[in-house]
Amino acid sequence: MKNPSNQSQAQQPQLPEGFSTETLKTIGVIAILVLAFMNFSVVVNLMINIMIFIYGLVGRSFGLAIILFTFLIRLLTWPLNAQQMKGAKAMQDLQNDKEYIAIQKKHGKDREKFAQEQMRLYRERGINPFGSCLPTLIQFPILFALIPAITYAIGSAPLSLLKLSRSLYSFQDAAALVPLNSKFLWMDLGLPERTVILGASIPILALIVALTTYVQSKLTMPPSTNPNDQGAATARIMSIQMPIMLFLFSINYPSGLSIYFIASNILSIVQYAMMGKVNWRNLLPGGKQ
Amino acid sequence: MRKKILFVTLFLLAAVLLSGCTGATAWPGLSANGEVAYLAHTNAVYAVNAKTGAKLWNFSGEGGGFLNMNPSMFVTTPVIIPDGLLVVLDSGNKHVMYGVDPNDVSDETPHIEWRFDQAKGHWIASPLIVKNRMFAPNSDGNVYVLDLDDGQSEKDAIKVIRLSASSGQTDRLWAQPLTDGTRIFVTSLDHRIFAISLETYEVLWEKQLDAAIPGAPALGADGMLYVGSLAKKLERIDPATGKNESVLGQEIKDWVWGTPIAEGDNLYFGDVSGNFYSYNVITGELNWDLKLDGAITASPLIFRDQILVATESGVIYAVTADGKTEIWHQPAEEKSKAYTTPVQAGDYVLVAYLESDYYLVALDQDGDVKWTFTGK
Repeated sequence: MKNPSNQSQAQQPQLPEGFSTETLKTIGVIAILVLAFMNFSVVVNLMINIMIFIYGLVGRSFGLAIILFTFLIRLLTWPLNAQQMKGAKAMQDLQNDKEYIAIQKKHGKDREKFAQEQMRLYRERGINPFGSCLPTLIQFPILFALIPAITYAIGSAPLSLLKLSRSLYSFQDAAALVPLNSKFLWMDLGLPERTVILGASIPILALIVALTTYVQSKLTMPPSTNPNDQGAATARIMSIQMPIMLFLFSINYPSGLSIYFIASNILSIVQYAMMGKVNWRNLLPGGKQ
Repeated sequence: MRKKILFVTLFLLAAVLLSGCTGATAWPGLSANGEVAYLAHTNAVYAVNAKTGAKLWNFSGEGGGFLNMNPSMFVTTPVIIPDGLLVVLDSGNKHVMYGVDPNDVSDETPHIEWRFDQAKGHWIASPLIVKNRMFAPNSDGNVYVLDLDDGQSEKDAIKVIRLSASSGQTDRLWAQPLTDGTRIFVTSLDHRIFAISLETYEVLWEKQLDAAIPGAPALGADGMLYVGSLAKKLERIDPATGKNESVLGQEIKDWVWGTPIAEGDNLYFGDVSGNFYSYNVITGELNWDLKLDGAITASPLIFRDQILVATESGVIYAVTADGKTEIWHQPAEEKSKAYTTPVQAGDYVLVAYLESDYYLVALDQDGDVKWTFTGK
């Protein structure tokens, strides 16, 4: 009599040789990305309608709508982010692995051989080297679509309002909703934020974006003891580079987008904290990573 | 590691470039006298010889400052004021209004005679000039009243008429006011229309309509105000009392954006689905409606014995008073979009295009191109 588990395995469709489930995941993510960009306006319109639906629920505050929308996005991408953390942790552990360090020492100068050995280790440990960056890729279309979505939804200029009229689904009461209340705290969400302090025009919100991005990247940077850890070195550079880039980005784009960045950073920290992955010591001066 | 950094950098650059796909946020502003056309297009205001299409000068504001954090944007229709100056409005982050002298030009830039920087929102509406007073509606919900004869180089508003709702929201004011000689009428995206005394600047009445009003009202032959709204309606309003009624409800198929134009007993206006209407204000009847091939956000232009209508498709239609229509001008570039009201300058009709290599096109009485202007 055959073993039932073996029988069930035999019934499963077999992947072609060289194909792993990780490869399939990669293809899946790329397919989603391609579909998203091919139907960019569909994605943008969907986002606009979700945000406006939330806007109606929260008492006509578009700032709150963006924050809740960010929360929704975070919730939907939670499994992806968790996988990203898992992948990053696996890569980090590998960097501190004795066998990996030994390979680095032995084949450090022979790139080809080193890459072969590295891939062997990945296979043996079941690590997908793209496991940590694929979930990030899936967020790109969200960000790309969010920029026009916020710009159109706020409708702070004629062309945006005209585009909004074409984006609303039929169930939305456009006549009653438009114009959306673009005021949130001290800013107009449809315009880049500036605060005049002592006669100088200061982009306060862009600075908060940079600060929260920096704090988020520092807090979520995994510890590393390997001085040759390339991942840790990259993370250190990124923790400086990303805040600068997002600052430059935020000063030129509607402040609604900055609200998204800030909310996203804070929610990311919360998610890491809930999973016990926050490294608070990284924020202290001279704190070890 | 370098590859990863390069990857992230490329991503961010791509994000910036892709987000740029949102493109311009407003369409050009265009005005003209017999000899010169003034075009506010994206980053500059251009003065163009209306007979030849040659650029006379351009004005691009006072610079974007550190990291170009405050870039200028010019989309509001420039206004020629009685003393010969031209009023141009920067719709960028600085919200500055300039009075420039079009005849005092050095390095292809006109001299700034005065500036006004007290508005808190961006400029979409053109100001209205009544004698020596300027009424400038702003997106911050205020109408700024300026004295054009005060001789100041840094102007102060002599009156700020606040039209904002008490909730703290701003009533975006996007349309140039209309005057009947004793009052000005200001429309708001916050669904309201206001009558303001020209003498005291007091709000005489305000009326809440069913939806946002992006265009200005028109004065019909019956002495009543007519204004379209995003409620797909044309409203008739008594200029003395503000009493209103919808005169066309079911017949209008989409948002009415542009200001209607009155010609004799008739009003002409379009909607954003490309429907064009003729309404007789005396009989209260819809004369006819036509379906054109693109959104109509501009006001029509009466040119000789026909009505010219610009549509988003870039095509300019000629419509006769009895509703016969023909394509009067087809742009060379399919991507060209015409959202701006065409203007007449001498024998030519000028059309401002968006998303086109041609910022401005001059057409003769047959709709044939006489010259084009590319901003250079």
